[in-house]
Amino acid sequence: MSYPAKLSQIIELFETLPNSEKREALISYADSAMRQGPKDGETFDLEDIRKDEECTDSVGVFLKLSPTRGCTFRVTLGPHVQTLTKAMTSILCKGLDGLTPEEVIEVPADFVPKIVGADLVRQRSQTVYYILTRMKGITKVWLNRERSAKHI
Amino acid sequence: MIDKKFAHPDALVTTQWVAEHLSDSGLRLIESNEDILLYDTGHIQGAVHIDWRADLQDETIRDYINVEQFSALCERHGISNNTTVVFYGDKSNWWACYALWVFRLFGHTKVKIMDGGREKWVAEGRHVTRAVPHFVHAHYTPSEKRRDDEIRAFYDQALAQSREGRPLIDVRSPGEFRGEMTHMPEYPQEGVLRGGHIPGAASVPWKMAVADDATFKSYEELRTIYEDEAGLKGGDDVIAYCRIGERSSHTWFVLTYLLGYKNVRNYDGSWTEWGNRVGAPIEKG
Repeated sequence: MSYPAKLSQIIELFETLPNSEKREALISYADSAMRQGPKDGETFDLEDIRKDEECTDSVGVFLKLSPTRGCTFRVTLGPHVQTLTKAMTSILCKGLDGLTPEEVIEVPADFVPKIVGADLVRQRSQTVYYILTRMKGITKVWLNRERSAKHI
Repeated sequence: MIDKKFAHPDALVTTQWVAEHLSDSGLRLIESNEDILLYDTGHIQGAVHIDWRADLQDETIRDYINVEQFSALCERHGISNNTTVVFYGDKSNWWACYALWVFRLFGHTKVKIMDGGREKWVAEGRHVTRAVPHFVHAHYTPSEKRRDDEIRAFYDQALAQSREGRPLIDVRSPGEFRGEMTHMPEYPQEGVLRGGHIPGAASVPWKMAVADDATFKSYEELRTIYEDEAGLKGGDDVIAYCRIGERSSHTWFVLTYLLGYKNVRNYDGSWTEWGNRVGAPIEKG
């Protein structure tokens, strides 16, 4: 299975890194997580802010579609969100940027171990897939609304 | 300030004490967290990272590493048998207490907790660094065996404790105790097939032992919680349990080091073993 181009670049970068540098790269992505929130004046097609059992704090996912149906994701994170979740937020905001909703839904989750490493996935599996699940979730809602609007 | 009424006040140190002892050669700081990358984002100068899953547990069966692996872990971090180890971490020191308890399983008795953990150190604006320290390999003489029979309880012992009406402390959240959920309120409700508690267990959530700033409550406050309210008495043989043994390590530390109970065991199999075990007796409500 091939991955979207921007995500593929990130995966390839991580796959070349030894474990210690992989952790440093994850921390670097985690550091930029707070910059993935909505910018001043931005409007969105859908907003989904909630606190789930799967995450240690509230997470807001914002979806905007361009006229050509390209997705832009913005994400807000509560202060207690774990570092791996922060890193995946930055990675996915960049990696899925510009994909159509259908392409977002089809992104296979098997890229996650390639980025964070099999050890971290095994040790903390509940934190690494959460943001991808939320992004796919809001995209499915948008697609359902689009389909409903076509049938009206 | 550490309450001098604690049974073993030396087992608890303040953030200020740690700041003043960063250069002590006979002391090693260990950070242990739930957030596995938190250490990498910045830690106390000179602290090493030990992860409960990656470093302390056997990778194949559900058990701890053996004495040789423990010695190798210590030697890698420059810890000898005489090194005083100070633990701290996130979540009000859950995993720090767990790591300390595991160190005690291997007979390492020079152990302390930094009161308030990582939250307090960061909240006070104290210095953190991303520089990972490297220490000269130490020599660690392994103990002959793990001290499982002293501070660890297994299923059969917890069952006997329940049948004989001896003290069992369930330190999980009230909802988990009542059987309304199988994990903490903020976590996925998976991994256990049945909810409830061990028959006869008293519910004393771990969090009752800490103040808002993650420091431990005073001796008198703790004595009221565990003795006046939960009915424990000095000299009791107590077993504490939670879901996988980390929150009950926190309570084990309180009962052993702060209140001075001499016979406290942590049932680390806890609810993930009991609630999945065929035929295990369960009370709800």
